Order: sequence, then structure tokens, then C-alpha cells
Amino acid sequence: MFRRSPDFWSGLALIALGVYIVTATRGWDYLSSEGPGPAFFPRWYGIAMIVLATGLMLFSAKSAAGDWRGVARALGAWTAIAVGVVLMKLVGFALGFAVLSYFIVAVMYRRPPLQSALVAGGVVAAFYLIFALALGVPLP
Amino acid sequence: MKTVLMALALALAGASAHAFKPTRPIEVVVHTGPGGGSDLLARAVATMIEKEKLLPVRMQVVNKTGGGSAVAAAYLAEKGGEQNTIGFFTGVWLTSPLTSAEAKVTLRDLTPIARLVLEPALIAVRADAPYKTLGDFIGAAKQNPGQLKQSGGSVTSRDNVVRQLLQKTTGARWAFISFPGGGERIAALLGGHVNMMVIEPAEAGEHIRAGNMRVLAQVSDQRLPGFPNVPTLKEAGFDVPAVPQVRGVVAPPGIPADNVAYWEDVFRRLTRTASWRKFLQDNQFEDGYQNAAELAKFYDDFTERMRAILQEAGIKIVR
Amino acid sequence: MDIAAGLLHGFAVALQPANLLWCFVGVFLGTIVGIMPGLGPPATIAMLLPLTAQMNPAGAMIMLAGIYYGAKYGGSTTSILLNVPGESASVVTCLDGYQLARKGRAGAALGIAAIASFIAGTVGVLGLMLVAPPLARFALAFSSPEYFALMALGLAMVVLLAGRSLVKALLAMLVGLWLAGIGTDPFSTTSRFTFGRMELLSGIDFVVVAIGVFALGEVLANMEAREEPLALPVPRGLRNLLPTAKDLRDCRFAFLNGSVIGFLIGVLPGAGSTIASFISYGVEKAFSRRRDEFGTGVIEGVAAPEGANNSETGGALVPLLTLGIPGSGTTAILLAALVLWGFKPGPLFISENPQLFWGLVASMYIGNVLLLILNLPLVPLFAQVLRAPAYTLYPAIIGLSIVGVYSASGSLFDLALLTGFGLLGYLMRKLDYPSAPLILGLVLGGAMERALRQSLMMSEGSLAILVSRPLAAAMLSLALLILLVPLFTRLNAWRLQAMEEEK
Repeated sequence: MFRRSPDFWSGLALIALGVYIVTATRGWDYLSSEGPGPAFFPRWYGIAMIVLATGLMLFSAKSAAGDWRGVARALGAWTAIAVGVVLMKLVGFALGFAVLSYFIVAVMYRRPPLQSALVAGGVVAAFYLIFALALGVPLP
Repeated sequence: MKTVLMALALALAGASAHAFKPTRPIEVVVHTGPGGGSDLLARAVATMIEKEKLLPVRMQVVNKTGGGSAVAAAYLAEKGGEQNTIGFFTGVWLTSPLTSAEAKVTLRDLTPIARLVLEPALIAVRADAPYKTLGDFIGAAKQNPGQLKQSGGSVTSRDNVVRQLLQKTTGARWAFISFPGGGERIAALLGGHVNMMVIEPAEAGEHIRAGNMRVLAQVSDQRLPGFPNVPTLKEAGFDVPAVPQVRGVVAPPGIPADNVAYWEDVFRRLTRTASWRKFLQDNQFEDGYQNAAELAKFYDDFTERMRAILQEAGIKIVR
Repeated sequence: MDIAAGLLHGFAVALQPANLLWCFVGVFLGTIVGIMPGLGPPATIAMLLPLTAQMNPAGAMIMLAGIYYGAKYGGSTTSILLNVPGESASVVTCLDGYQLARKGRAGAALGIAAIASFIAGTVGVLGLMLVAPPLARFALAFSSPEYFALMALGLAMVVLLAGRSLVKALLAMLVGLWLAGIGTDPFSTTSRFTFGRMELLSGIDFVVVAIGVFALGEVLANMEAREEPLALPVPRGLRNLLPTAKDLRDCRFAFLNGSVIGFLIGVLPGAGSTIASFISYGVEKAFSRRRDEFGTGVIEGVAAPEGANNSETGGALVPLLTLGIPGSGTTAILLAALVLWGFKPGPLFISENPQLFWGLVASMYIGNVLLLILNLPLVPLFAQVLRAPAYTLYPAIIGLSIVGVYSASGSLFDLALLTGFGLLGYLMRKLDYPSAPLILGLVLGGAMERALRQSLMMSEGSLAILVSRPLAAAMLSLALLILLVPLFTRLNAWRLQAMEEEK
């Protein structure tokens, strides 16, 4: 399965998106009495999406696997961000962001725990000072 | 003697029931971003209240934009029971629950406090247009059905509602083209791309003075002081109710009666001040003050009428 | 009042110590606001409005205008250094600006941005001063068909921005168009693609997508490497701390291009600085000898859009001051401010308030000079930000993105969207999809659809309106040309290749 190139998969995903868009437009007016309706534009670009994505898929060459470890690391970082945002909703910006920063410094960059904690704390403090206090910008 | 004492006791008890007093800055929720209509109104009101010392604390404007009024309304609904929060509503808060399934919070789900202003409007054409009265325009529209054009906001805006009502009573038909920004609507009219628009007096004032625009009629019940020579819709012979654009105050649901009374009192006193009168005059608003009970009734009437009008216009009603 | 007299009078007003102070305060605040992603001039001006009620109107207007164009100077800073667009118009600057920073030439990029902004800003003021009223009349002739053609021209730029794979660029653009369509359709109040969520009723905020795809995407891409002592090479030596003479020469055309295009597009009500910067970038790329290098760190790719978004402010003031029509969010607030102070902006404004108008014009000249003086020396200082080690810099970028988005909308839903778009940005990078067309589609999609439907409503369904009007026809032909030329060159290349293979 992995012998198909990434283009193949992205093409497939975009075809799916295009199909979704075109189906969603079924419920809306294409041409109403007062001109083109809400379905007009989306239907056309949905179709264009399907056509182009199919072309992409068909012409995609077979290619080798990529640097999966690297991708896993990046996706791990992304999960951390996502979790961090959820945390911020629950416990506020300071704690949420501190945890996130700590994770990135400690895990991603393999720095010793104390240094990570200091950096995380420092960054959070800086943000608080600059944004919340000096500028009065609301923090989550 | 006993009765006097009893009466005194009751009076004191009554006075202390009016016991709500805000202790922290009041949160004022608006549905537009900074600089939008509601935002500016809220800031103006806050400034006036501070000047006239009607509140012991200050007011803090909070912008909750999104989905027209949906996010701001939902925010207020979530704050049920919160006594130090109010919001400013406009017409969009009333109409968007009718047409948008996602806009779940209606004014009835919140606590109405007061209606503050009515915004009248003018029907304007370019100064070199061949229409001298509204009758001329309608006549031309009847002769060329669907060919004349009006620029305005979204299809649920007051601009289109006026058009629907006029079309219904006269049988004429003309096209409506939505432009999201007021500037673009005026540009379309001045550039000759549309024939007519419904415009607010404050926006139109300068163009009329410069001789670029002509006003055919006013959408209000009485003639505005700035336009003594322009007939109202009724005077021009069109039996169409003057559809108001309203602005007022609401509060979160579930607040105690003394809280509501307090807010009502503050805003009633505001509308009696000289700053408020000057504000109305500068912005060419009409004083549309109604207290909480009257506002609730107005809301019911208004939404009923809107539902009928929008349905006839072919717009899907979801609620 | 004729121009020379007016200008003299204006300088007399602008050079009064109080007004000079307000000018400085305004441009300084504006620069800071521009640097902060998410916080924009509209919010700042609205917050300051009550304070200005007590001030002398000339001084207040000078300050608020200073914030407006000052923000455009600051917006490039985070775009170049961190790939975080400080302002929607700075997105295009990220494309080449950040790449220059990666090559160690951050200082040069920042410097050129400041210089281009100065030149364009001055041109914008000149335009405002000299051609405002006739240009305003011309702008009125522009309506939906012409807007549609302009947007089509902008989208044709996708072809120029395509890079290696045209198909992928087009697909990215289509996704951008789709994202633009999410929300409530104003013509019929139908909700499109909102998945039942009310936060999506008014669509997805551009800032969320831009910061997510650019900044977070970049951060995630960098997370792949295990250890990286420094995020970006620190510029060493004066050569890289400031633009060189060669840079300045290379950018000659870009300065002109940015200034003129930005100003003209600014005059049109409703067209914004983002469109101006995209089109000026596209034009620069089309005419440049190094067009294939665009996107990898070409200095003209910074000069053109930065210039465009500055002269656009001068242009946007034209309809405001000559007709009383606000062309964008910020000018709408300036309009409200003028009304608040008791003025009536409209066609008679300039002739009735010459001292305010000319005072403002003169202060804009002064403001541009002040900004250049403020920004240039700060460039080497800002470039030192890159000294920060990766593990401090990247959390800072993430934090900045989150705070920036939250401060603009106060919505946690937007933060969730931001995270989602961060992932999208990363995937696009991995899968080799260019992100500029996505942003272009997002920015233009809504406006283009509206313009098309408005045009068809105006013509009662006839497409002829798009080609019967001279301006619209001209722009559409140009767009078609831009689309077809690469096709011809490619066909030609294939033909030549085929001939080679036959031999």
C-alpha cells in the first residue's frame, strides 16, 4: 500500500472533498429567480476539484517511502498543540501553555527537565507580561 | 399608629428590594467587531452614562462576533443569572433566528430590558435620475418589471423588507442586489450601477448636500427634522408600515426582578438626559424608548410580521 | 485652495509641536500593533476613539491615520522573521521574506520592507494629494463586473505562483475557494458548509487560516529534525543586516509596481490591501528576470507587496475623504471618528475643511519619514531575535499564534480551527502543495462569488455584462492571457522535447 506515492493519497482525499462539496450543493438552489443561487459557485469548483484531483492521481508516479520517523515527531508535536489548546480551555492560558512548552522543549528537543521547566515558565511569564499586562489583550 | 408603622416597614422593605447595585465593571456584549455599528453605539452609551453619572462602575465593551448575532446571543444565554452583564441588540438579533438554524437564541430566551432607538431610512436615487417622487420610480418599475435595481444589505435586512412590502402593495417588481458594505452600496448608486437604495439619513446627508443624491421618501412615521420636505411612505400614498431598524438592551436570562428594574431605571434615565437627546440628533435616530414589558410585546409582534414578510419573499423560515 | 498653497498650509498645521507629537504616538503605536498578529488597526483605533473626543480633531486624525499606515510597516516584521503574518496584508511578504531570513538575510529583507514601505507610502500620499477627486470619480465607474474581472485577474496569478506543479496549485486554490464559501450566503441566507456550528455562520476568519497554515505549519515541519541548535541563521556582517546597493537596484521596478498598484487598488472601495499585495507580487514575478526563483527568497518579492500594502492606505483614504465612502474596515472607523468629532465626510469635505485635509496630508509625509527613521535602525535589533535557540523560539511562535488568533476573536473555536489549519499547513508542506494559492483562493473567493452574482443580477442573467463593459473586458482578457501564456510555453517545451526525442 505504501508503494503508492503521496500524490495518490492526496488526490484521493481531494476527490472525496470534491464529491462532498457537490453533494452538499444538491440541497441548495442552483439558479434562483434573482440570479445564481448558493449552489452555483460551489458546484463548479467542486467539479473542478474532482477533475483535477483525478488527474493528479492518475499521473502520480510511484515513489519511495519518506522519513516516517520525522513525520511521527511532527505529528506528535501537533498532538501536543491540540492537547494544549484543550487544556487552555479547561485551565486557562498559563497552565495550558506551560505544559505545552514544557513538552516541546523536553520531549522534542531533549533538554534536561530543569532547563525545560525554566524555559516553559519564562515563556509563559513573558507572554503574560507583554500581552495581558502591558497591552490588555485577552488571553484564553 | 400601627398601620403607619406597618406602612413604613413595608416601604423600607420595598426600598431595600431595589437593592441591586453593580459592584464590578459591567460587561457590555455586542455582536460586531470594534468599530462596527453596535460597538460604536455601546461605546457612545458608555461614555454618556459615565458623563451623566448614572452608574457607579464603568462599562466594558466585549466584542463577540460571529454568525451575525448568533455568537453574542449564545454568549449571553450561557451567562444565565449573571447580574453584571448586558448586551446591545439590533434588528439582526430578531431576524436571524428566523432564518438560520444555527442561531438558536431568540430575544425571548434572554431578558429584554429596553428598546432605545429606531433608525429611520430614506429612499434615495442619484440626482440625475428621472424620478422626482417615489411614485415615478414605482411607475417606471411597473413598466419595466425586474429591470430596475436596488442596492442593499442581505435579503433579510430592512432594505429588502421595505422592497418586499412596496412590491406587494403596488405590484411592481425590481431587482435587489446585496452588497456587504455600506460604502459599496453607495458607490453602486453613485456610479449608476443601480437605480435606487434605502439609505440611512446619517450616511446620505453629505451626498444630498453636495447634490449627488435625491431623496424620494422617508421610511418613518413622522418627518425627520433634517428632511422637512420629504414625504413619508404613507404621505406619498403607499400604505406600507414604516419598518423600523431597532436597537436596544438585553440581559442574560434568569436574573432577579430587582436587577431588571435597576437596568430599566438606568436606561430610562439615560434617555431623559441632554447628552442622549444630542446623540439622537447627531446621528439622526428616532427616540424609540420602550421599557422591558413593551419591548417584549414589540418583539412578538415584530417577529410575527417578519416571518410573514420573509416567507412571501421566498426566504426559508426555520423557526 | 490650490495644491501648493494647501500643502504649505498643511505643513504649518502638521509641524505644530502638539500635532508632531500625536503623529509620533500614532506611528509608534501603529508599528507595535502591526507587529502583533491578530491585533489590528481597527481594534486599536476603536479603543482609542473615546479618548480622541477630548482632543483637537486635527491632532486626533493625524494620530489615528498614523496608526493606520504605521501598522503596515510593522506587519512585515513577524512575517519575515517568524513566518507569522502580522496583518492580513503581510501574508505575501511571508513567501519570500521568510525564505530570505532562512538564508541569513533577514536584515536585508526587513530593511527593504521598510524602504519600500516608505517609497510607496509617499507615493500614496502624493496620489491622495494630486489626483484624489478625479480618481474617485473613476472609481465609481468600477462595479461588480469590474470587480469580478479584477478578482479573476488575481486568481490568474495562481498560475504565476504555481511553482512546480500547476495542478497542485490549482487544487490548493480550489480548497481556498471552498473555505471562503463557508458561512452564510448573504443573497439567500442559506448556510453553507457550516456543519451546524454557529461559529461558522460568518465564515472562517482569514487570520486563523493564514497563521495556522504558515506559522504553525512551519513550526511542525521543523519539529521533524531531532536537534537544531539555532532555528535560523543569524545574519552576520553589515551586508546581511541591511539591504545592499545591489538589492536596492534590483528592486527598482518593485518599488514602482508596489506603489502604483497598491494605490490604485486602494482607491476601489471594497478591494483590500491583501489583494493589492498579491497582484503586485504577481506582476513583479511576471516581469522579473528571476521569476523562477520567486518563493525561494527573492528580495523583490518582499519589496513589491510591502510597497503595495502601504500605498494602499493612501488610496483607501481617497474615497473616504472625497466622497465619504469607506473602502475598508479601518477607513470605516475613521469615518465614524470624523462623524464623532462633528465633521461630515462627503463630497464637500475637502473644500469645507481644507486645514484638516491638508494638515492630514502633510502629516502623512512626516509620518512616513518618522516611520523610516524608527524602523531602519531597529532592523538589526529585530534580526537578533533569530539568535534565540529553537526550543525557545518555536514555543514562542506557537504562543504568539494562539494569542494573536484569540485576541482577534475571543473564541476558543477559532483556536481549534487554528490547530486544524496548522495540521493542514504541515501536510501541504509534506505533500508539496504550495500554500500561497490556498490563501489567494480564500481571500478572493468570497469577493469573486459576490461580484459574479451581483453582476448577473445586474444584467438579469446575461453573462454578456462581463465582456460588454470595457474595463471588465480588458481585465478578463489579461487574466486569460496570463493563464494561457504558460500553457503555450509548456506546449512549446513539450514540442521541442518531442522533436529532440525523435532525432
